[in-house]
Amino acid sequence: MMTGKTLNIQVNARNRAYTLDGTSDDKILNLGLSNAIDLPYECGSGTCGTCKARLISGEICDRWPEAPGRKFLKPKKGEFLMCQCAAKTDSVIEVESFVHTMEAGACVPGLITGRVNSSKLLTPDVMSLQITMDQTFDFDAGQFMLVQFPEVVGFRGWSMVNYERHAKTLDFVIKKKPDGVLSEWLFGNNCEGVEVELYGPLGNATFYSRLAKNILCIAGGSGIAGIMSILSRAAQDGYFSQYSGDVFFGVRTMKDAFFLDELAAFRAECGEKLNIVIALSDEDVPASAQIDYPQLAFDNGFVHEVAGRHMEDRYQNVRAYLAGPPPLVNGSIGMLLRARVTTDNIRYDKFS
Amino acid sequence: MSWEKICGVSDVPENALEKFEVNGIELVVANYGGGFRAFPPRCPHMEEALCDSAVLFDGMLTCTKHLWQWDMGSGEKTGIAEKELLFYDVKQEGGDLYAQVDEALVYEDDDDEDEDEDDEDFFNAD
Repeated sequence: MMTGKTLNIQVNARNRAYTLDGTSDDKILNLGLSNAIDLPYECGSGTCGTCKARLISGEICDRWPEAPGRKFLKPKKGEFLMCQCAAKTDSVIEVESFVHTMEAGACVPGLITGRVNSSKLLTPDVMSLQITMDQTFDFDAGQFMLVQFPEVVGFRGWSMVNYERHAKTLDFVIKKKPDGVLSEWLFGNNCEGVEVELYGPLGNATFYSRLAKNILCIAGGSGIAGIMSILSRAAQDGYFSQYSGDVFFGVRTMKDAFFLDELAAFRAECGEKLNIVIALSDEDVPASAQIDYPQLAFDNGFVHEVAGRHMEDRYQNVRAYLAGPPPLVNGSIGMLLRARVTTDNIRYDKFS
Repeated sequence: MSWEKICGVSDVPENALEKFEVNGIELVVANYGGGFRAFPPRCPHMEEALCDSAVLFDGMLTCTKHLWQWDMGSGEKTGIAEKELLFYDVKQEGGDLYAQVDEALVYEDDDDEDEDEDDEDFFNAD
């Protein structure tokens, strides 16, 4: 356990200042969020650049000077990523945006420990991973955790698949990335029993039943994880007895598809207001797909284009959730704006 | 200030964004239906390339990185956007579009190249 020296950080946001008491071990983003101060962030893991801030006085330590998100910074201006930097001394920093405290009832993030309970290959390059935590934990459907393995330095953001209050276990989906150090390790080793550190919950693409809107989910590949959590919560609350749900899950071919049994079970449980379409981008829909999964629909094309075709003029009172690679998210945003869905009803967390 | 021809009016269809270079200065032209706007190529928030990833529809420009929006008719930020876009003056003449691009418009926080020199000038002013 690290024990850094105590210090305080003053955060000057556009609307007001906050004072944080922490230590030199605390990443500044985490310190703010753990104090229910909603500092700007998106990926939380050094990639997107959204958490950039400017050092006014004091000294900071950059834990990951090679972070890809640094390309958004102007180091000469003292800019740094709050998700990767800790203060070395009392410091004053400036955040350009408006910063508010979290709403009452929000799940305030914190650092917890856990252990890998099980892992399973879902396709040759996608695995599911279940982590049992040392304490129960609350999160909103659609949120993600930052997870760090002792073997590979650095936190990765993964969305929860499951949803329950006072959760003791969290389920994740991990895609094998070419040259991804952690995914290489996970796919090449038995990681059961390995102790992990987790920070969260994070993310604003959340679903809650008092939303009272029809929901539209567009996901590609492992992006389906957070959508599964949303469907789980909606199913538990009987949400689709009143509101419609349209889920579009894009994969390249049937061999890349997973969670089809689970999606079919959601449809069976929730009824005909929940429509689930599997979009295959790289092959025609095989005849066997519809026979094997009568509860699901299948179509051919990029998932946001398939969604556009199926939704047509059904965008009234819709909240959209997007998850997947940037072309999918950008393509979906364009489609939704042209269908006159307002930006406050478009939710996603960009990881790049 | 002088007017420079950027493109033909028909080079930028309605709801399209096109990038041009005039006097070595890159700018994006938006045809928003009610007219044209010309602005620097990067989002003032996080420098997203607006020509590649912004969406123009219903007179609204939306950057898809964080959904900041600007009303092209009034030229003002709207919704969650926290910074205004800067615009080059444009005019249509005949079938062509002209803009005043004597020097690149730069967002307040983007002028790091000149900053040190400016400071020196400031301190040496007397």
